[in-house]
Amino acid sequence: MSAPALDRAPGRRRLWHIDGARTLRSLRGGMIIAVFAVTFGLLIMLFGEPYQVRLAVAAYVNLIIVIGLQIFMGNSNVANLSHSGFVGVGAYITAIFAAPAMIKQTLIPNAPWGIDEVQLGVVAAFIVAVGITGLVALLTGLVLVRLSGIAATILTLAILVIFHGIFVNWVDLFRGTQAFYGIPKVAGIKTMLVATAVVIVIARLFKDSRIGVQLRASATNMLAAEAMGVNIRALRLIAWVLGGMVCGVAGSLYAYYIGTVNARAFFFHAAFLTLSMHILGGMRSVTGAVIGVALISVTMELVRLAESGPVILGVQMPELLGLSGLMLGVIIVLVMCLRPDGLMGGLELDEVIRRYVKRGRN
Amino acid sequence: MQYVVEQALNALSIGAEYSLLALGLAIVFSIMGLVNFAHGEMIGVGGYIMYAMTLFGMGELWMILPVCLLTVVITAVVLERVAFRPVRQAPATTGLLTAFGVSIILQNVFLLGVSPRPKTVPAVSVLNTTVDIGSYTFTILQFLEAGVTAIAIVLLVIFMKRTKVGLAMRAAAYDFTTVRLMGMRANRVIATAFAISGFLAGIAAIFFIARRGAIDPFMGLVPVLKAFVACVLGGFGSLPGAVVGGLVLGILEVVLIIVLPDVMAGMRDAAVFFIVGAILVWRPQGLLGKKTELGDKTA
Amino acid sequence: MLEVDSISVNYGPVRAVHSVSLTVEEGEIVALLGPNGAGKTSLLSAIIGLVPVAEGTISFQGQNINRLDTESRVERGLSVTPEGRHIFANLTVEENLILGAASRRDKDGIARDLETYLDMFPILRERYTQSGGSLSGGEQQMLAVVRSLMSGPKLLMLDEPSLGLAPRIVDQIFKLISGLRDRGLTILVVEQNAQEALKFADRAYILSTGNLEFSGTAEELRTSADLMKAYIGEGVA
Repeated sequence: MSAPALDRAPGRRRLWHIDGARTLRSLRGGMIIAVFAVTFGLLIMLFGEPYQVRLAVAAYVNLIIVIGLQIFMGNSNVANLSHSGFVGVGAYITAIFAAPAMIKQTLIPNAPWGIDEVQLGVVAAFIVAVGITGLVALLTGLVLVRLSGIAATILTLAILVIFHGIFVNWVDLFRGTQAFYGIPKVAGIKTMLVATAVVIVIARLFKDSRIGVQLRASATNMLAAEAMGVNIRALRLIAWVLGGMVCGVAGSLYAYYIGTVNARAFFFHAAFLTLSMHILGGMRSVTGAVIGVALISVTMELVRLAESGPVILGVQMPELLGLSGLMLGVIIVLVMCLRPDGLMGGLELDEVIRRYVKRGRN
Repeated sequence: MQYVVEQALNALSIGAEYSLLALGLAIVFSIMGLVNFAHGEMIGVGGYIMYAMTLFGMGELWMILPVCLLTVVITAVVLERVAFRPVRQAPATTGLLTAFGVSIILQNVFLLGVSPRPKTVPAVSVLNTTVDIGSYTFTILQFLEAGVTAIAIVLLVIFMKRTKVGLAMRAAAYDFTTVRLMGMRANRVIATAFAISGFLAGIAAIFFIARRGAIDPFMGLVPVLKAFVACVLGGFGSLPGAVVGGLVLGILEVVLIIVLPDVMAGMRDAAVFFIVGAILVWRPQGLLGKKTELGDKTA
Repeated sequence: MLEVDSISVNYGPVRAVHSVSLTVEEGEIVALLGPNGAGKTSLLSAIIGLVPVAEGTISFQGQNINRLDTESRVERGLSVTPEGRHIFANLTVEENLILGAASRRDKDGIARDLETYLDMFPILRERYTQSGGSLSGGEQQMLAVVRSLMSGPKLLMLDEPSLGLAPRIVDQIFKLISGLRDRGLTILVVEQNAQEALKFADRAYILSTGNLEFSGTAEELRTSADLMKAYIGEGVA
């Protein structure tokens, strides 16, 4: 751990106090992770088949989601399952504002506030989507931070169900269970790589910031931290909103890539997939997010091959629906039983490198 | 008047279902701090064993009900041994995530082993026939739910007060280490807790399946969420709280069915969770829960 | 009866007990003294099996019990009354006592013991159906001791029985403890209050920062002002 936890009466100093050297080290660390994460994508972009690029894009969207998850969950140690809901908010708001008015008049002719006639530019819609996701996160967060531990986690489940209920039932705005299509497909793998790099650096800076350090210290003993004058609710709220917005970014970019949005993509299945990625890599580590996403994306793709009943040596294998889900569950249980801190523990790539170099010198 | 009585029994019986599940969660949580998300899958376990027996021509009610209960109890105890014992000493979040994993595994085992399509257990659905008493219309199931749940709660209270293991379970909720100092085996206390929670879930499974008429691999999700909400509502880990929370939830749902217009019927679950969120803002520790202080065993 | 042979106890990276040996003979009262943080509770926890031993062996009645879990050690006749009493506040006095006998199967024996101890501690009979949490500190301490006795121990280990109690109550508690010895019980008592403990103890050990600093008869320690001053401090007069 690079930052000393809770040095000198932490509550009395400004939250946003910036320590130059430390910030620089954190920034450099974030960039190292970002380069590490983006390299795979660049290679695939340059040399991969179109279907590999498709898979890579999906993996990077998931990576952005997991980073969003890490910002709250990794620092506060409160398990969160509502993140998929925030991805959905980002995606739907993008769809609502970026789809051409003409298409919207057939899709959502009864939309409230005459929203079907509004059409924003791609960038403007993105900003609005992320902003609204942040606003939604703020509103839910005000409730969430009043609870701690398990009760908070259960509330995140409730939030996911509420969001899903709204997507599916507010037909006039979200088209219910039907797909919302017509979103301009403007995002490709390049966009994903840039966004990934940016959110990784943000997450790392946040982790090492005063807020992040205090939040992590408070996660181990909330009441003691409160007694020391740390305002945990405020810290959690900041992490919650920031994490929610990153999920909103993922949702918006996903919508711009795929062109169609469907509520099914933002429910439990997606939530568990990204959660297991997060756990496998190690919740407290940004690098862990990258590794977890990479490993599970590859595994899932292989399992999916088996699942669809491939022909092996001329023999048609049976369809094994549920195999990928089974794998996910097994991964989660094994990681929790054998290595609850995940593959990376709390470490980051640059910290591992530094250790390795140090050991080499000695 | 007639409408009120019918709906009141309806609320009571739905609430009873939630109470049964919530009690199982609360018993395990109070003793070992585990939030057993896989509890909902016990409904699936019970459902599929009854479905399998029906397939093999053993679908009589008197055969499938005991087997259902027994299978769910055994499953609960086995899961404790295999998945939850390794994380017993770990922080609550680790246990919770393990339980998520177990839940996903069970769902997908159902999916792989049976089918993603809904299946029926005809014998159990018979319980849902309506009866007329005077000018009132009820289902047999509603009486069973309310009655059996009441009996189960009474038996549970007697067990917790009159048996050594029961006393140990209550004491363990307070201070597990000292229970071990009494020479009471931790494994025995925890296995009993899981067996009881499984038994209650087995009863709930029969009711849930009778009410809904069909089983599918993911059917445990919504009930377990509701049960969690009931627990949080009543104060997590409190057994009376679980019962009260379940009943409040049942009443809330029935009221919402009456109040919400049909077009918003789909919003019912969302509305329930929304109201619960609002209650928690007012009382974060739940209706019967105590505020935690420094040094308390916290979730 | 109890032989602890050079055991060490670790809490994570911290070594709480360094190679400590002690013995308790049948029928003795042995006091384990020392300041706060000396490792006394760690030592007791190791003897009862709540924390693992890093090195050394623990034997009870001539048998190595290192590998037994806490529950089995209680069944064999070891019993600890924990520091801070740890009464089950949500259970009644009766329920606390029944749970104390959790390791036993002889119903008649349990009932007989219960009667005997309720006669010895009449206040517990008075409070029989009250919740443990409603008792006063001294009453809770008595309940804690009797609860331990209900397991029918051969060796009773008391962790800080006088902690937080008024002097008058402390006197009472120690009288009761020495009364137990007269009933044939062997007792290991951990105390910060050396003055009180030495009044009743036959032998004493002094532990400081995890090391054994002194072992000898209580008499020696009581009469040697220097020893007292060196290990126990002057504060306790």
